[in-house]
Amino acid sequence: MLSDTKASPAPPPEKPAEPGRLTRLFLSLADVASFVGRFFREAFLPPYEFGEIVRQCYEVGYRSLLLISTTGFITGIVFTNQSRPSLSEFGATSWLPSLIAIAIVRALGPLVTALIAAGKVGSSIGAELGSMNVTEQIDAMEVSGTDPFKFLVVSRVLATSFTIPILTFYTIFVALIGAFINVNANEQTSFPSFMQEVFGAVTFLDIFASLFKSIFFGFTIGIVGCYKGFHSSKGTEGVGKAANAAVVTSMFLIFIEELLALQIISALRGS
Amino acid sequence: MSAESNKRSVTVGIFVLVGLVIFVAGVFVLGGQQKRFTRSLRIMAVFNDISGLKVGNNVWFSGVKIGTVKRISFFGNSQVEVDMDVEQSSQQYIRKDAKATIGSDGLIGNKIVVIQGGTISHPEIEEGDRLQTVAALSSDQILETLQENNRNLVRVTQDFKALVGNIRRGKGTVGAVLTDSLVANNFKMAMANLEKASVNTAAITGSVSRFASKLNTKGTLANELVTDTTIFRRLSRSANKLENVASNADKTVGTLGQVSQNLNRASEKLNNNNSPLGVLLTDQETATNLRITLRNLNEGTRLLNEDLKAAQNNFLLRGYFKKKAKEDEKRKADSTDASQK
Repeated sequence: MLSDTKASPAPPPEKPAEPGRLTRLFLSLADVASFVGRFFREAFLPPYEFGEIVRQCYEVGYRSLLLISTTGFITGIVFTNQSRPSLSEFGATSWLPSLIAIAIVRALGPLVTALIAAGKVGSSIGAELGSMNVTEQIDAMEVSGTDPFKFLVVSRVLATSFTIPILTFYTIFVALIGAFINVNANEQTSFPSFMQEVFGAVTFLDIFASLFKSIFFGFTIGIVGCYKGFHSSKGTEGVGKAANAAVVTSMFLIFIEELLALQIISALRGS
Repeated sequence: MSAESNKRSVTVGIFVLVGLVIFVAGVFVLGGQQKRFTRSLRIMAVFNDISGLKVGNNVWFSGVKIGTVKRISFFGNSQVEVDMDVEQSSQQYIRKDAKATIGSDGLIGNKIVVIQGGTISHPEIEEGDRLQTVAALSSDQILETLQENNRNLVRVTQDFKALVGNIRRGKGTVGAVLTDSLVANNFKMAMANLEKASVNTAAITGSVSRFASKLNTKGTLANELVTDTTIFRRLSRSANKLENVASNADKTVGTLGQVSQNLNRASEKLNNNNSPLGVLLTDQETATNLRITLRNLNEGTRLLNEDLKAAQNNFLLRGYFKKKAKEDEKRKADSTDASQK
């Protein structure tokens, strides 16, 4: 009797269990934290890529200047025009310069600059690094002895952290000029009087809060763009996804940071 | 480094520089506006109610911003101490008796501290001084006053309504004036009289005008009086002389006064019994004695005359009297000759 002793085929090796959604979230958070930590470590350790940092400042800052200045100018005009009816109901159009100054310096200047930069620079960084990742240029750099993280990530994040605050001051300045043109055309307010009102409403806390906020916004745009580009999936589709994710994530984080900054500044202001 | 890289670095440098210039300029303008870089001194004021004043609000003196509120803290039981930094350049204008109050920058503007008053007799404020305060008028108090005004306005309008009703019904003087036909006729007559009076006034004005024109006509007495300077000069001299005469008369009257005083003093002395003349004039006994003495003297004189006549006939003195008689005759003859010549 033939016994059915035929050995059954060995079961295929078990695939590691897919991590759950929560686990994936924690893993990605750990990955982001590791990426940020590596940035700070590489940023302070030599060698420093000054040439690349200057090139990135040129690309991020100077190349965005016209776009951001135009946006700021239009923002100043539009915000002034939209605020006028509310104030004129109370016969308080003379308060327009104060209102505009507070709005532009405290919120609109840093926010508009960061959002425009996130759209232009964040997507550019995500796409560029994603493309390099897809075409294995990053691996090639590593093979050739160049530290890709220092050369690609540190230089870009430093450039965005440095130039976004400068672009913010450009935006504030241009937006105030736009607001002045509108106020002057409607209320015949002179430039010295306008500036008197503007600087009467603004405080040092407002200016320095804008400065620090825009540094954080710049850092966020740079680090998110680089992270998404560095971790893009293979294939041409990955480049587009990386660019898109860089923009969406950095914009979302900018609003979160704005909300946190508002709480901190309000606490500092005592109101 | 390539030429393109150099160009890029220069562009980034300019970009960064301009951005920093905007930032630094903003900081300096803001600092200047908020007087951050000016020397200041700290003064205090204690209020019962600060009406929502906050740190950073402005301090005004005579309508000029001179500083900002630096600290707000509770003081005593329920008062509030406000520390202010004011410019040192305004120190000389704020006196120790100046008063601080809580005001408002416009109708719905920010709260401000207003320093007012102060007299030059008091020294200027110093670091750490505490100003006197005046309680500000709150919006509640303003509304309360407005409410009182409204109540008064209602009463006034009610009174006015009653008044107008009375007038319409012809009550009171005003009502009578407006409704009584007799009063209207009297009023018409009064107006007519007034018209006549105005006509008379016009005639008087014409007369005055004619008089004025005569005054301006040369040769008339009035014109001479008004325009002739010679007459005026003479009148002026006459007036001066009259003035001199009057002053002399004054002096004379003064002298006469002194004389009369002297006479008074003399008459007082005469009336006085202690003075010799007073005794002679007023004492009866002395007068009697004097009369007796005079009678005795008359008697003595008569007897002495007899004795002298007897002596003239005496042989011892007869020669002397003859010689004297001759000399008298001779003197008379000489005087007669001299008069004839």
